Amino acid sequence: MMKRGFRSLHPLVCLIYFIAAFTTLMLYQHPFFLVFTIILLLCFHWALDRWRLLRGWGKMFMILPILFFIITPLINHRGNHLLFYLFNNPITLEAIMQGWIHSLSLLAMLLLFMSFNLVITADKFLFLFSRGFPQWSLLIMLSMRFIPLLRRRLNEIITVQKSRGLSTHDGRFRQRIKNGLLLLQILLTWSLEEGIQTADSMAARGYGLQKRSRYIPYKMKLIDGISIIFLLILTILCLFGWWLGDGVLALTPILEPIFLYGREWTFFFLYIVLIGYPLIMEIREQLLWHSWKQKI
Amino acid sequence: MAFLETKNLSFTYPDEEKPAISDVSLSIAQGEFVVLCGPSGSGKSTLLRLLKKEIAPYGDKQGIIHYKGEKLETIDAHLLSKEIGMVFQDPENQLVMDRVLEELIFGLENIGMDSEQMRKRVAEMVHFFGIHHLLDHKVHLLSGGQKQIVNLAAVLLMEPSVLLLDEPTAQLDPVAAKDFLQMIKQMNQEFGITIMMVEHRLEDVFPLCDRVLFMENGTVLTDGKPREVIQQLWKKKMLAKTSYLPSPALLYLEHTKNGQNIPLTVKEGRRWVNTLAINPKAVARNNALVTENKSIFSLKNIDFHYDKKGGNIVNSLSLTVYEGEWLAIVGANGTGKSTLLKLMAGLATPQKGSIKWNGKKIKGPLPLDIVYLPQNPKLLFVHDTIRKELEEVKKRLSLSDGGEKLQLLLSIFQLETLLDRHPYDVSGGELQKIAIVSLLLSSPKILLLDEPTKGLDPEMKKELGQLLMKVKALGVTIVMVTHDMEFAALYTDRCAMMFQGEIASTARTNDFFKGNTFYTTVINRITRGSQVPEVVTAEEARQRWEIIGEDSEK
Repeated sequence: MMKRGFRSLHPLVCLIYFIAAFTTLMLYQHPFFLVFTIILLLCFHWALDRWRLLRGWGKMFMILPILFFIITPLINHRGNHLLFYLFNNPITLEAIMQGWIHSLSLLAMLLLFMSFNLVITADKFLFLFSRGFPQWSLLIMLSMRFIPLLRRRLNEIITVQKSRGLSTHDGRFRQRIKNGLLLLQILLTWSLEEGIQTADSMAARGYGLQKRSRYIPYKMKLIDGISIIFLLILTILCLFGWWLGDGVLALTPILEPIFLYGREWTFFFLYIVLIGYPLIMEIREQLLWHSWKQKI
Repeated sequence: MAFLETKNLSFTYPDEEKPAISDVSLSIAQGEFVVLCGPSGSGKSTLLRLLKKEIAPYGDKQGIIHYKGEKLETIDAHLLSKEIGMVFQDPENQLVMDRVLEELIFGLENIGMDSEQMRKRVAEMVHFFGIHHLLDHKVHLLSGGQKQIVNLAAVLLMEPSVLLLDEPTAQLDPVAAKDFLQMIKQMNQEFGITIMMVEHRLEDVFPLCDRVLFMENGTVLTDGKPREVIQQLWKKKMLAKTSYLPSPALLYLEHTKNGQNIPLTVKEGRRWVNTLAINPKAVARNNALVTENKSIFSLKNIDFHYDKKGGNIVNSLSLTVYEGEWLAIVGANGTGKSTLLKLMAGLATPQKGSIKWNGKKIKGPLPLDIVYLPQNPKLLFVHDTIRKELEEVKKRLSLSDGGEKLQLLLSIFQLETLLDRHPYDVSGGELQKIAIVSLLLSSPKILLLDEPTKGLDPEMKKELGQLLMKVKALGVTIVMVTHDMEFAALYTDRCAMMFQGEIASTARTNDFFKGNTFYTTVINRITRGSQVPEVVTAEEARQRWEIIGEDSEK
């Protein structure tokens, strides 16, 4: 996979971005903000993997926001703008707005989480969280190999034992359970046996003689440092905006107009730069590439 | 001062009466390439493990081991783990981590090296081995040969001065094995690393090494340069040991009176063969073609793939198995040999094509007359003693004559003494035999074998070959997937070559090997296109050659 743009930054930068993005996203409950967030995140996903991941999940994550959008007005009846009655339930404009905000915010969260999965891969995750717990991180690394290995072994056992008539698919229920346990027993004995060899191989390479060091595949570069400072400043400003009450659509006592006004535009701009930071990095990468190409 | 030295080393495992190693005194110079060979259970692996302190077996140890003039026990553990590296037999089980890069640096992390230095070492090593494209791969997606190269690289990253290898190529196919051994040779020649290797691929290893130790019953039987060891083994007229001679040497010693310039390679062999004058003996060839027998099992235009998107593993393949024959299927790795065997065993169902059994088309499950021995026979065993296992099979098949049959098979295979052992406590060859016995209990018509000779020592191989001949004589048809050309040439009736999911050619074994250039035995490569009659095995040469003169001047 290509490791360019945002993904080439130090994992710590990526982590700070996601923490900042999640926090501000949860605080800024305003449809105008949210719509732009979603557009930016969709663009980011396009830059990351051409929507491959989204397409795979497509329907799954549309269902939840739509449900929120429908259900909120049905159970929430507060508000001054009464629109109509549905089965004797008052449906208010405020409740519809509320449902709208909830579902947009949920959608944005899901998109952000998906991009988190794409950017913070397993090895980056381990790198970020293993510093304090070296023993645990080794254990996780080992299980990352052993769990799929056990599954492959079990499949192999099932195939071979099928040829001898030991199967978990036919026969009486009790017999099937018994066969299943037998298969697991083979898996265990076999894996323990092989595990001894793995342990030998670990010992032969000096495991357990002293405290292990950890290979750090990522280096902090200048751009990483600048990114961190930039992201932190933006986050603080956005938090300040939220504290001032901007960027949240007030529903009660009076429904605020959806369109932004005055000072809100400033914070909107800051927020968009924060959320769109990865996209900026991706575009920067593209521009650099093009200017380089023109030079030669 | 010797570099690595053992003095009167003896070792006995707990609860064993006989020592695994008795009174071994060795002295190995720095930069020597030493090969240990001998039958399984002769103490080769034990000796190797005693030299590697971290994994030395528990038991009663007598005698001293010196490394660079110091006693092994007194050397700093940290230093020792770096200085003496070890590569094991199974490529998969030695791997610890999920990805290649992590695996490579595992040892370096253990000795507390800092990141910058690790990066530098890995960069160098990766370049040397040409495995940069594998660094991000998951280890289980690598081929066996690649895995073993990664294991070797991971050990060499620690910069050892002694490298111990315990049958490193036993699980590899011949091509990968040759590559691996060349790599070892390179390490020895270009970096002066001292090598001690247990190995059964004699044809490949004898020309490479400086010194051979032949071990038996825990003692070193002969020790010397490869040619000297061959001569000594031959002179002692230990016929059982002839299976330990590389085939060019065997051919030479059986047909010459000189016995001086023993050929170790094909090149040397060809030079010698061209000095011979031979009167070809007319041998009554067994002209009864197996193909005149009844076809018992035939596949026609079979297609198979594992998942929707993947290409066909088996591709419009047709193959006919004749009653009472022993058919070998050979071919490179990844050509679908093992998959074909699974299809024949009914463990996978082809997407297209038809299967005929005894001339009748069958649909649905295949008849019970076909039994299948997987590459790893351990998978067949469920119970904790061999006796229980066999009894259980007998019960499941509800045989009326099960007892007698079992007795008969056990006596043919000489397994009576092993019955109360755990299936994992016997040697690879014995396990193979037990598995075959348990499969034969159901009186099958066809026995399918997936690489039965993998990891066996030459003597065990010979025994297995002879036993399978007996099984064939009982009327069982054998189909075997193998990489072992020498084995196929000695015992099988027909060979089929698989290529890209189809059978590229089939022929009678002898014609098959004589028609191939690369996929053939060492002896065939020596005699092909020379002035002597072309033969495939030493056995064939014994029958067909009558030496009338040898021109030693040439």
